[in-house]
Amino acid sequence: MNALLQLENVSFSYPGRPVFGEVSFEANAGEFIALLGSNGAGKSTLLDTITGLREPTSGTIAIEGKPASEWRPSERARRVAHLPQSVRPDLPFTVEQLVLMGRYPHGEAWFDSPADIAAAHAAMQRTACWEYRSRRVFTLSGGERQRVLLAACLAQNGSVCLMDEPSVFLDIEQQLRCFDLLAEEARNGKLCIAVTHDLNLALSYCSRLLVLADHKLVVDCSTRSARHDSGWLGFFSNRLQLGDTPNGKPWVWYR
Amino acid sequence: MTTVRSEAQKRVLVCVVVFCLAALILPWVGPGPLHVRDTLRFGSLDSYIFLQLRVTRTLLALFAGGALSLAGALFQAMLRDALATPYTLGVSTGASLGAVVMISFGWSIVWGIPATWIGALAGAAVVLVMVMGVAARQRRISAFGLLLTGVAVNSVCGSLILLLYSMAGVAHSFSISRWLIGSVDATGYGSLTLFATIVIIVSAVVIAQAKHWNLMAVDEQWAASRGVRVRSLLLEGYIFGSALTAGAIALTGPIGFVGLIVPHMVRGRISSDHRILMPCAFLLGGTLLSICDALGRVLLSPAEVPAGVILALLGGPYLIWLVRERL
Repeated sequence: MNALLQLENVSFSYPGRPVFGEVSFEANAGEFIALLGSNGAGKSTLLDTITGLREPTSGTIAIEGKPASEWRPSERARRVAHLPQSVRPDLPFTVEQLVLMGRYPHGEAWFDSPADIAAAHAAMQRTACWEYRSRRVFTLSGGERQRVLLAACLAQNGSVCLMDEPSVFLDIEQQLRCFDLLAEEARNGKLCIAVTHDLNLALSYCSRLLVLADHKLVVDCSTRSARHDSGWLGFFSNRLQLGDTPNGKPWVWYR
Repeated sequence: MTTVRSEAQKRVLVCVVVFCLAALILPWVGPGPLHVRDTLRFGSLDSYIFLQLRVTRTLLALFAGGALSLAGALFQAMLRDALATPYTLGVSTGASLGAVVMISFGWSIVWGIPATWIGALAGAAVVLVMVMGVAARQRRISAFGLLLTGVAVNSVCGSLILLLYSMAGVAHSFSISRWLIGSVDATGYGSLTLFATIVIIVSAVVIAQAKHWNLMAVDEQWAASRGVRVRSLLLEGYIFGSALTAGAIALTGPIGFVGLIVPHMVRGRISSDHRILMPCAFLLGGTLLSICDALGRVLLSPAEVPAGVILALLGGPYLIWLVRERL
């Protein structure tokens, strides 16, 4: 059986500047993967490439066993939901309008169907932005806006959820809720890949770690094995150490 | 948004009623009173004034105002900038330059058609082809690229207009400045029918894409990652918006503000959902321009104030009030 997502020797470069090269991995439904790396390592570009926002310089990407380039844009968007790093709508859309845009790939009709509206409402309730659904997006704080964007991605209901720093701007409680939600999505049969700089969230919630460094994929391991061999921490800083909390959770701390 | 279908139907219906009321009432407004009985008697002077001057003029204002206002809403969504207007992307300045060339050379009628119409449409077409050529050479099209090209074209065409204006004789320079103010004049039913048909068809195509423009108005990548074909939508939007603008400018001159304030007003007071915003902007833009034209006929009667001047006088303070209210 084909993996839900397959990357084979995928490279991307700007003229004269390689971003990443020869990235290969397979990922399946039910996995929650943390995509890690320093600033500029190419994490966001990799997510953009899988989403179809950028063409890979070489290599192939397959979604549900079919080359990504063979999916029509709306078919691909029904399968891949992408949370961008930053969206700041200047025109005065309301929260509800923005979340309903997540349903765009699901309907050719001019108006939203009752199913679209129900999916958007459920997503707003899950991300705790239902209370301010009538507010205009540009009046929201960064954290509130991030929850709205997350709701739009949940409403999109893709089998692959690509989240570019989903917990950015969120307070501690909302960061935990955000990762709880993504873990729940994975348990419900989705594949979630989240870019994050928070190694503790990654170790606590994710089942697998991918690390981009030196323009390539340098680590692809389960979280369990990452707990036993902390060598991968060296790709971020030589001041990091891996230990356990009193209740047995992995914990990265710095000297 | 939960009841967007019924909400849209209700709000658009109200705007349709307003548009129709304007079409029915405004032809009766003018410097001289029209008597209903005389107007209804075919062949009378009142009937001639009503049918040949006032009705055509009102209809032209309704469709030109609608076209400019819809083009404004379209370009604002395309550039994600609430201050974008039909004049931001250069086609309108190209149209103006074409018309000014015709006036400067003293051509008033070419092949039985007003030379300014031909000049405006030709100028718009040249700019359109030029911008598309630049985009094709880069093998990509983006809102930012269109904006930069538009600014450059605006600058060059604006300078050429000034050059022609300064080189023209007194009579021609007066005609140029009069045309550049923008006004609605009576026109024949033939050209009016052609113009209205084009405006209705192009507007229907643009409004049919309103759902896509909702996503584009947020962010290009946001739209692309939800399955919108961004490049083709931008291309179509640019061509259709330019066609609406060039057509309106050819017949009325570059009337400003309607494409800026009406989409603003609709966005603030009715809805920012383009499925509601676009049809309402068309209907209310036409209504506003026809009201301004009617006001221009009576304010300093028997002299006429161009509709472009009235719009600027009303639009400027309205925009300031709008900005103050939002801050």
